Amino acid sequence: MSKVQSIEEKLDLTKFISDQNYAHITINPEICKSKCTTFQCVYGCPSSCYKFTEGDEAEGPVSFDYISCLECGTCKLVCPHESVEWHYPKGGFGVEFKHS
Amino acid sequence: MSEEYDFDVAIVGAGPAGIAAALTLARAGIETVVLERGQYPGSKNVSGAALYGPVLHELVPNYWEDDKSFERYLTTKKISLLSESRSVTIDADLRNFSQPPYNGVTVIRPKFDRWLAEKAEEAGAMILPDTMVEDLVWKEKQVVGVKSGEEELKAKLIIIAEGANSLLVEKANLMKKPKPKHYALGMKETYELSSKKIEERFHLSENEGISNEILGHTKGIPGGGFYYTNKETVSFGLILNMDVLTKKKLEAPDVFEEFKNHSYISKLLKDAKMVEYSAHIIPEGGFKHMPKLYGNGVLVAGDAAGMVLNAGLYIEGINFALESGRIAGESAIEILKSNKFNKSGTKLYKKNLKKSFAYKDLKTFRRASHFLENKHMFTTVPDLLTVLMEKLLRNDGKPRKRIVMTAIGHILRKTPLWGMFKLLLGAVRSL
Repeated sequence: MSKVQSIEEKLDLTKFISDQNYAHITINPEICKSKCTTFQCVYGCPSSCYKFTEGDEAEGPVSFDYISCLECGTCKLVCPHESVEWHYPKGGFGVEFKHS
Repeated sequence: MSEEYDFDVAIVGAGPAGIAAALTLARAGIETVVLERGQYPGSKNVSGAALYGPVLHELVPNYWEDDKSFERYLTTKKISLLSESRSVTIDADLRNFSQPPYNGVTVIRPKFDRWLAEKAEEAGAMILPDTMVEDLVWKEKQVVGVKSGEEELKAKLIIIAEGANSLLVEKANLMKKPKPKHYALGMKETYELSSKKIEERFHLSENEGISNEILGHTKGIPGGGFYYTNKETVSFGLILNMDVLTKKKLEAPDVFEEFKNHSYISKLLKDAKMVEYSAHIIPEGGFKHMPKLYGNGVLVAGDAAGMVLNAGLYIEGINFALESGRIAGESAIEILKSNKFNKSGTKLYKKNLKKSFAYKDLKTFRRASHFLENKHMFTTVPDLLTVLMEKLLRNDGKPRKRIVMTAIGHILRKTPLWGMFKLLLGAVRSL
């Protein structure tokens, strides 16, 4: 029997020290809306921080939440339109690995 | 020291490259500071992870006498090929690897990096955690320090060891914008399992470890899985070529889950409790896509310098980080003596690095990363061998053909011959 573990379940195990005042990564919904048809960020992100939006009220086709970001760097590399503004979190914030 | 500078050398990043440099410098009495963005050294780092004993022994003689330094020494290496409901494994049990300094040892990065950083502190280096270096300080065309928030810290020489996301290397104008095809995405899960269970399950004696590289069952995406045994955990992961992953429109976590559900993997992880999930990019551009290793006032080491070797059998980063960091440290000592901090002085680092195994291995396997993008490696080869084994071993009441005839018939019928010829040619040229 195959069993699939949800990414939310997995991310619950990892410790994050969230910086509520600073999003270390931001995307530009205007660029995503006008230029992107391929959405590499959604497929590449290992913690599903990028999600397709639904409904007309969404700012762009993709939403991004930095809180469970593993700081891997994939989205910065795979976005072909430079819509991803990528920085590291401020010192002491972000993911804190204990077993990796 | 002139009053203009706070330190002789400032190092960005307390991973193996940065700490190896700091340790080398501090031992020579050089005023050294290491700036680490994480809560402690190792808290941001993701690796397999294993490293070569002899490289660590050179940096920290008799490291094995301190049992905090490593998890298990590697005596078993397995290479497995997977296809749907089949697997074939080569199992190398190598007893000659069970004596110090050990051929390879497994490590847990948050523990190992912290342990190594303590050695550097004992030698006199200053390590500042919680400190994010956002930018460089320039004086005309020379880098003379680093910026963290409002603070500036001046140093005669900066060693950039910030890791695979090398933002400062770009800011130092030492590399072009990185391309996704030169990187892979690594995802990893750590599982808790008692040492007794690890030893039973993987047929190990006390303190012995195993590493297993696993090819196939990745939806045709170049890459592969791995696991390493630690004292009381197992590190299990999957590495995927991010260019192909995103072009195939497959979500990374889904590919990982499906890989994990192969019976070969699920057996290994049975009843083990996952305790952490992590991920990181891996520079895999190899020799041809390394940035410039030195500039005016800067040296670059470790993953930031693209010093990762992927040659199929070997996927190595920590060894190269330790080695390039140590050589950066040794070179910095000479550069400080020469008092020449522009490129004409710092190029000494590259000259020294060229003599090391790290640079030579990258050069030897410079064609490997291109070869390892060949899709037949990840689909045709695992399918071919696992299905052949099934055919050879199946008893279905029919008279058998000679083994050789079965094999030849299978290969001729199932193989894109031209593709495989190119694969073999690529292997001969690059490995």
